[in-house]
Amino acid sequence: MLEIKHTLCPSCSVGCGINVILDDNSIVGTFPYKRHPVNEGKNCANGRNSIENFENKILEARISNGNVDLEKAIAEISKEIDSSDKVTVILSGNNSLNEASAIKSFSDENNFNLAFYANDLGNFEEVASYNDIEEADSLLVIGDILYENPLIGRRIVHAMKNGAKIYSNIKAENSVTVNVSDETTSSSVEEFLDNYKGNLSDSSVVVFNTVDCEGDLDKIGELESKVLAVYSKPNTKGILNIVDSNSTEEIIEILDDTDVLLVFNDDIVDEIDFDFKSISKIISLSAFENNTTEISDIVVPIKSWLEYDDSFVNSMGESQDFTQVMESDGLSIEEVIEKIKG
Amino acid sequence: MIMSYVLAKAKNEEILKAGECGGAVTSIFKYLLDEGLVDGVLALRPCDDVYDGIPTFITNSEDLLGTAGSYHCAPTMVGDLIQKYFADKKVAVSVKPCDIRSIDELIKRHKINPDNIYTVGLNCGGTVSPVQARKMIDKFYEADPNDVVSEEIDKGQFIIELGDGSEEAVKIHVLEENGYGRRKNCQRCDVKIPRRANIACGNWGAEDGWTFIEINDDVGQELIDGAKNAGFIETKSPSDVAIEGRSKVENIMKKMSKKNQDASYPLVNESDEWNRCISCYACRDICPICWCYKNCELNKPYFKDEKNIPPSPIAFQGVRLSHMSFSCCDCGQCDDVCPMDIPVSLIFDKLQKKYCERTRYVAGVTTDSKPPLYSPDKVEL
Repeated sequence: MLEIKHTLCPSCSVGCGINVILDDNSIVGTFPYKRHPVNEGKNCANGRNSIENFENKILEARISNGNVDLEKAIAEISKEIDSSDKVTVILSGNNSLNEASAIKSFSDENNFNLAFYANDLGNFEEVASYNDIEEADSLLVIGDILYENPLIGRRIVHAMKNGAKIYSNIKAENSVTVNVSDETTSSSVEEFLDNYKGNLSDSSVVVFNTVDCEGDLDKIGELESKVLAVYSKPNTKGILNIVDSNSTEEIIEILDDTDVLLVFNDDIVDEIDFDFKSISKIISLSAFENNTTEISDIVVPIKSWLEYDDSFVNSMGESQDFTQVMESDGLSIEEVIEKIKG
Repeated sequence: MIMSYVLAKAKNEEILKAGECGGAVTSIFKYLLDEGLVDGVLALRPCDDVYDGIPTFITNSEDLLGTAGSYHCAPTMVGDLIQKYFADKKVAVSVKPCDIRSIDELIKRHKINPDNIYTVGLNCGGTVSPVQARKMIDKFYEADPNDVVSEEIDKGQFIIELGDGSEEAVKIHVLEENGYGRRKNCQRCDVKIPRRANIACGNWGAEDGWTFIEINDDVGQELIDGAKNAGFIETKSPSDVAIEGRSKVENIMKKMSKKNQDASYPLVNESDEWNRCISCYACRDICPICWCYKNCELNKPYFKDEKNIPPSPIAFQGVRLSHMSFSCCDCGQCDDVCPMDIPVSLIFDKLQKKYCERTRYVAGVTTDSKPPLYSPDKVEL
């Protein structure tokens, strides 16, 4: 029977609501969630297409690309991590709050290396709210936010309509953000910040989804404006409250010193330019197929975000609950960890 | 058949109490379900609160009570749901004018089988976006939006009822002059009574506790007769004064719409909003008239233009305009879902009106078998 249920979009850290359409416990479509305060029923293409992942849902555990019994795969994971003293755990912004706590505890208990990548955007304790963007008298925008994070982009459009001055720093040749900006540069972020910091006031906001280097984050932090970093995963901000993030260089350094890589619902292969073949064993716990599961030695299916209750923290630091919308026989990350522990 | 009018109300006490103006709509759905005439009823129910109406498919008539009432803060559409997910089912559905207009256009395109649906129309003065509604209540009413248990649009006012039984009302024109109130396309919509539905129901012209029903076709007559004979509703004839009163309300609302049309159509020429388009295709994907989906021309290599963002208006909206603007029912869903707040529907609606001036074809209203320019064969270019 057809049902329409509320959930959160898993595509980035904005925290948009989205309705999913289920037909006899199968996801068949999305439907606007107009009551949701973040996006009012508007979703970008990534959000609406997020359910296409279900076409690539992992249904069976496998070892060396051959399907195996789940218990066998988990026993193999236990064996691998017990026999190595260079185990790295990849925590992901895709992990929900409870999952992240369980993964961190598991990693700490076993003295594994814990690595967490947050798009090199750092963590700012005081962040701007989405309403702050709309009410700002000026905005510094770094990255093509309108195109890449449209539901934050919409707030920038509202700010423009409210009379805010918009200054943007965009490297791409084609950009929509340019069309709502008073001034645009393609200079380095450092130069951009230096040139425009004089245009900022207490009510200004710096919105960014990219920087050139770590030093840019220090410069942004020194400004007397509110700051909003927009990450590529739904709970990156939530996990930054639990662990510090690692830069790309740090992640590569950790990977260089890894024999067994345990990836929790992430596609690190897609994100980090590294020779993953140099790692002896890659173990992936994932709901969906991705570039990392493709090269993993052991793959264990886990529940997707539609199959359990938990929370993500969005870019502005607001914790948002989501509830299970479909039945599942699969295991959660916490359940897999318990089984690995034996 | 000759159009006829009837006043009706529920005979079931629970429905009478829960339903709007006599509960006739809920009773008619109950009749259809209990008599096995449909597999289910597609109607709105509040999910988290009164602002959060979502379509729900009901197969047990005991669950119908949860759908009783009016949900002006739930601007949803059901035509595409019926087309995509209920093709093999017999369904009864409650429809606003824009719902039945889109259903009618899909029937003309052989995408919905008219023999498989019963359409119970709801007169509509317009809908309000839910998040905007909460902001509006916070700003213009002496009330906490969380305390609202029901709302109504009546006598030119947006009325809220609070948990303690009290009511507050503010004139709609006051709200709209301040940028709140009904959605923009609802403000200019001039189809207020869904006459292509089997029956059109509402409180305009009705006595207290009764639903005024316009019976639009033979199926509608069968519905009323069947529900009455089976003991689900009682009926009586409306007075001439009631009929005249209803007509007066409709005409006043249409006049207001015309005024809004005159104010908004010239804006199309001045619009510079299109340079924010990110080619996300949300407007196309939500459109209740666009049914080609993956076979859409815009997905074809000769139109696909991922390099140019924003896209050339001619290559993107131009294609859509030429394909379906003559069938635009001005439901405003494209505006609602656009992440960049581009008033997409304005240009489609304006073109539909231009088309209407030349051909007299009103999408989803005119009873011609097809819109004059429509070709049912999808030809590959």
